[in-house]
Amino acid sequence: MALPLGYPLRSLAQRRLRTGLTVAVVALVVIATTLFLGLVSSLRRTLVTTGSPDNLVVLRKGSDNDGSSAVPLEAYQTLRFFEGVARDPSGEPLASPEIVVQPFFFTEDGGRENVLVRGVDAQALAVHDEVRIAEGRMLRPSLGEAVVGRGVAGRYRGIALGREIRFGRRDWKIVGILESGGSSFESEVWVDVRDLAADTRRGSWYSGLRLKVAAGADRDALMRRIADDPRWTLAAKPEPEYYAKQAESANIFYVLVVALAVLAGVGAVFGATNTMYASVEARVAEIGTLRALGFPKRAVLQAFLVESLAIATLGLGVGVAVAVPLALAVSEALGGVGFAVSTFSTSVVTLRISAFDIAVAAGLAAAIGLVGGLAPAWRASRLLPIEALRKG
Amino acid sequence: MTKYLPFVWRNLRRNPLRSLLTGSAIMLAIALVCILRTMPVGFDRFLESLAKNSRISVHNSAGIVYGMPYAYLARVRAVPGVVDAVSWSWFGGAVDADRGVTFPSFAVDAEGVGVVFEDLGFAPEALEDFRRHRNGALIGRQTLNRYGWAVGDEITLVSMVYPLTLTFRVSGEIPSDQDPRMWFQRVYLEEAIRALGWSMDEVGMIWARVDDPEQVPAVMRQIDALFANSEAETETETEKSFFQNFFGVLEGLIAVVLMVTWLVTACIVFIAANTASMAVRERLRELAVLKAIGFHWRLLFGTLLAEATLLATVAGGVGALLSLGLTRMLATQAELDPAQMGPLAGFVVTNWMLVQALFLAFFIGILSGVVPSFGAARKSVAATLREVF
Repeated sequence: MALPLGYPLRSLAQRRLRTGLTVAVVALVVIATTLFLGLVSSLRRTLVTTGSPDNLVVLRKGSDNDGSSAVPLEAYQTLRFFEGVARDPSGEPLASPEIVVQPFFFTEDGGRENVLVRGVDAQALAVHDEVRIAEGRMLRPSLGEAVVGRGVAGRYRGIALGREIRFGRRDWKIVGILESGGSSFESEVWVDVRDLAADTRRGSWYSGLRLKVAAGADRDALMRRIADDPRWTLAAKPEPEYYAKQAESANIFYVLVVALAVLAGVGAVFGATNTMYASVEARVAEIGTLRALGFPKRAVLQAFLVESLAIATLGLGVGVAVAVPLALAVSEALGGVGFAVSTFSTSVVTLRISAFDIAVAAGLAAAIGLVGGLAPAWRASRLLPIEALRKG
Repeated sequence: MTKYLPFVWRNLRRNPLRSLLTGSAIMLAIALVCILRTMPVGFDRFLESLAKNSRISVHNSAGIVYGMPYAYLARVRAVPGVVDAVSWSWFGGAVDADRGVTFPSFAVDAEGVGVVFEDLGFAPEALEDFRRHRNGALIGRQTLNRYGWAVGDEITLVSMVYPLTLTFRVSGEIPSDQDPRMWFQRVYLEEAIRALGWSMDEVGMIWARVDDPEQVPAVMRQIDALFANSEAETETETEKSFFQNFFGVLEGLIAVVLMVTWLVTACIVFIAANTASMAVRERLRELAVLKAIGFHWRLLFGTLLAEATLLATVAGGVGALLSLGLTRMLATQAELDPAQMGPLAGFVVTNWMLVQALFLAFFIGILSGVVPSFGAARKSVAATLREVF
């Protein structure tokens, strides 16, 4: 025979202050943890999930990012006609020759950051198929036009559709805003590759190429052919691999966050255990009565566990309800959380708490409720009815 | 007051499990606060350490990756008030090409280093060795320790910027625990680049030292005026301002870290308050009896408050010590890359932070104990006894 569910829940209402304090403890732990987890998952979303697996990044062999790479013009003209490179309906290869540079941009509060500016040509949107123009239009060549990423638009001073902004050595007109589902292209500014070559005084060199592999083509064979071509010393790797490598600089954060979340969680377990013990202490006579009435040990154990889990669930609810808007507000106020990967260009990370973060926090809260409630509930169920009644 | 200390102590031990649980929770939370604070504090300390010198950075106003002609160096050196200047060019050297750049490496002019970076306190023999060997390198202590390199060792780095693999001789250390940088002679790099059939006529940045700190703003204006309306206009700023800008991008992260720190602090207050209120509630009867036999409410209030405070402070002290151990562990995590996070990842808990943590715990104790203790101590004897019996 089990105790009705209402019993543990109404017991909580009996001691409002204590329940409230414990709920607050769990809620704070949930907020702290989800904020940190959200930071990590947002970082990962921005840094790691960039690029598509059938795109190849072609760079000078030995350079680890397109900022420090150089690919000669002739290499581009040859490589794009290699077998295995996809073509658009008009027969033009899906190859995007690009130049990147990192000029200064200025944040609203005067901070100076290196933003990745990518010079692209007409094939860029077809190759980078995760990128779409959300507002305005794509840039036209040779007019000094620029398309800015969503993250860039929210972070730096003087950026708005139709406005002119100065970076590098000239003024550029912003004609569009690009989105890519939160990935790192949103932290970039795209301009015409020839405009950028002129502005950076670069000769006949690109920084790198992006090639789209044709459906059904042998990607590895294409990569080998590029690497083995004796005319140049180039190397190709799939885009996701390239971005995953860049993201390694955030690893230290992941370790840190996990360590800190565990610490906070253990602390909260102690807090919850305490409350539940007190809850048992205060109800010794009541438990004795229940047992004397014939409720089995298991029913008492269950009731106290339910009580503890209810506290954890309440804490989780309050915590998530606060954390999600809080994260958005913080992100908005900061203009995105900035992070500089190993190439020094700024990634603008929109702090957002994902469903996965909430799931992890829910797991943590459940663990707090279970572990915190187990020992006291065990103890309650072991009370001898006679002694319990006498004590009360 | 001391004569009541045993009384307080006994009360704490009355429910040892509860005191232990509360103490542990506070301990962990304080440790967490200490660890989190190493990030913003480390950042501030880093900037602080740069504020003392009169070194200025000259770079292209369009961005750090936009170079300047090498000829600028001689012109900066000639500006009145400039003691000496060196150029800096990014080499992007990697120990392991697959892992990429793990510490910053720059080609510099050997002659000026000792003067421009006088405040770093180079050993004279290190500078001497650096000048004498064409492939000599000065390397930050952090990097030396990380790779176990010693003076005289030969090291080989693959450049991520040039198609070059160069071998260097470790001439000496850049004497600072947190310094990951490596400097080597520009002529050595120039030679290697010429061998490729290229030329190297640009520099990334110029560092100059001004003899009189008062003169710094004037010298900076003068340098920028020198290159105004040229191909490469410059922006000159103090070293502190340069690094503030360089790492300024991490400010958002610091803000989030600080916010989490505050959340954890609030958490400790709630845990401690919970315990204090439980402890008091259990003892209402006994408090009423004590008052009935003549103990003043202030004394009862004092002992209850002392109980909460003592518990929090002791737990806080242990937590602060725990953070010392935990940060050491973090700092020695081999696969982590301290250079990537710059001054945020020093994980150094300073003595001052320990003291602050202790005070924080002390005040949390008082804060958590004051309301329940006051309420209990002030409650009228008649009301309490009526309630209890």
